Amino acid sequence: MTIDRRTMLQAAGSALALTLTPATGKAQGAPFRIGALNPVTGAGSPYGSGMQKMILAAVDEVNAAGGAGGQKLEAFPDDTQTTPQAAVLAAKKLIEVNKVKAILGTWSSGVSLAVVPLTNDANVLLMNTSGAPALSVPPANAKGLSYRFQATNDRFGRAFAEIAVKEGYQRAATMAFNNASGIGNTTGFKKAWEAKGKKVVEEVVYEPNQSSYRAELQKVLAAKPDVIVMGSFLPDTTIILREWFQTGAKTKWIIPGWAANPQLIAALGLEATEGLISVDSVSNENAPSFKRYDALHQKVTGQPGASNVYAAMTYDMVITLALAMEAAKSADVAAINAKIREVGNPAGEEVFSFADGKAALAAGKKINYQGASSVLDFDQFGDVTPDFGVFFITKGKLERRYVVKI
Amino acid sequence: MAFWIELVIAGLVSGLVIGLSALSITLVFGIARFPNAATGDTMTLGAYGALIGHRITGSLIAGGILGAAAGALVGVLGYLLIFRQLARRSNVALLVASIGLGFMLRAAMGVAFGHSQSVFQLPLVRPWRLGEVPIQPNDLWLALAAGSALMVVFGVLYLTPIGRRMRAVADDAALARVSGISPDRVMIALWVLAGAVAAVAGMIAGIKTVVSPEMGWDLLLPAFSAAIFGGIGSPVGAVVAGLILGVAQEVATPFVGFTYKIALAFVVMLFVLLVRPRGLFGKLEGAR
Repeated sequence: MTIDRRTMLQAAGSALALTLTPATGKAQGAPFRIGALNPVTGAGSPYGSGMQKMILAAVDEVNAAGGAGGQKLEAFPDDTQTTPQAAVLAAKKLIEVNKVKAILGTWSSGVSLAVVPLTNDANVLLMNTSGAPALSVPPANAKGLSYRFQATNDRFGRAFAEIAVKEGYQRAATMAFNNASGIGNTTGFKKAWEAKGKKVVEEVVYEPNQSSYRAELQKVLAAKPDVIVMGSFLPDTTIILREWFQTGAKTKWIIPGWAANPQLIAALGLEATEGLISVDSVSNENAPSFKRYDALHQKVTGQPGASNVYAAMTYDMVITLALAMEAAKSADVAAINAKIREVGNPAGEEVFSFADGKAALAAGKKINYQGASSVLDFDQFGDVTPDFGVFFITKGKLERRYVVKI
Repeated sequence: MAFWIELVIAGLVSGLVIGLSALSITLVFGIARFPNAATGDTMTLGAYGALIGHRITGSLIAGGILGAAAGALVGVLGYLLIFRQLARRSNVALLVASIGLGFMLRAAMGVAFGHSQSVFQLPLVRPWRLGEVPIQPNDLWLALAAGSALMVVFGVLYLTPIGRRMRAVADDAALARVSGISPDRVMIALWVLAGAVAAVAGMIAGIKTVVSPEMGWDLLLPAFSAAIFGGIGSPVGAVVAGLILGVAQEVATPFVGFTYKIALAFVVMLFVLLVRPRGLFGKLEGAR
């Protein structure tokens, strides 16, 4: 028998692998692998690295409590670059090379919609923070493996309508970025607004990457609206508001929180942003789970937990997944998937951390995890309904005036 | 009427950006004879250069000069390090090399400046009113900047000895060489001009919108179409075509909506090219 170099390497490699494999007890099989696929760069970069750090921190928390369903968790971080192309490549790598069983924390609807066919094909769970209504239903959620920890754009639109009524606006117009998320916001608004017997006086859908949005604004302003409701993102909102302010018009604006944020204020200055209404889902701020999350977020990022609603969502994803594993006593994705609503929704004992939930499950009780991001009650589509914070930009600061429940 | 005038003004301002970037493409195509896909990223670099210059000095003019210098430097370096080495290869090889250079520039700017948006911190001003028509003072300044950049380019091309040599190389490279024109000096002059013009286009786009590492790449397609539409290799054609594309887009919006305005600009271009395949100002090239 001749031993060629390849055989030798293989043999040496497997010997090495054997020595490196830790002695495992019966309860601890191979770790359960999850992908932390977040927008570390690109438009989501203000949130992405915090989201990823909280996944890793939550994994440590679960492992410190003895793991879930008899297994430790192991997270593989990757970057979506906030583009569908990069996200698909990263998801392919996570699924095929790292063999993850769940992908957590995709941000932006375009990214989640691009990744969900891959996770469905591989029978892998996807937990996202995107708003597009299309993510609720087939084909995107044909297998019921996708869960959304953020409000849908449709729910955002309903919240916008509540706010517009509360503020006494009569003539609303809409402007939407031409993608699933942007149009989702404005159609959600239109449905809820018209259900209240009001009229949308003008609707414009605009394209990304234009050097000017003046013609679009001209059309909207010609209808003399008293408020313009946006389904937009940061760069286009920056350009549109700058051009709007320079026309001298005096309209009010209702804008989603991911577009009307501190970066927008930094870009446009105090005068142009004064009085803009920014709407974002708010975390479950009075819950003990939020306090845990807040302390952890402070520790790993140095920022208060409330500064990144998406990081609270990704933290909850790990805890929810781990509780479902604990309830399923299995690493099988189908078995875990069957338990997610059971550990998240009523009825059951309200629990606020993984350790408490694990203990309650061990005592044979039913549990209802109350998340840091929201109470996390998943509907038939895997969607949750958080509350919405209404922020008025005053002297360059986002000032929360009230909370809207829908 | 005021409605239409407003649309035309918006179109002219967008058209200036397209026209300037098309001018950079057409200069390179006319003289170095390949489509330079790094033009978009040179624009981005110009925008960042101007942004930094503006932050340090507080003056847009100083910023613009720094941006243009950065664009010119990258143009010359790209020529010396890459395009000169590949000069004897087919123009497909040069095109691919320029795509690679563009990727490198974009990635380097992503690392250096981050992917979140930056903006020129300029005071926001209310418009002047000319009758019914609002005129943005900022637009006038940008048009002035674009106009001066054009004057410099056309001045160099048509009033200086090096410009005459550049046009000679553009007309017939072999004949120019036998007449004793040094290709290296012409090429360096070309890349300085092309880089600086792209950078000024990038700065104007950056002032009007937001600066991010991908901005120039996103503007590349309309710039290429304007270069072809104007007649490839024709500087005047590129600028005129850019303005036409810009105005056609905006004026079309009441008819086709905002989603299809980009497509409409391309329909105009296709129509012109069907009737006049060499473009607006292109010369017929015989087979060589």
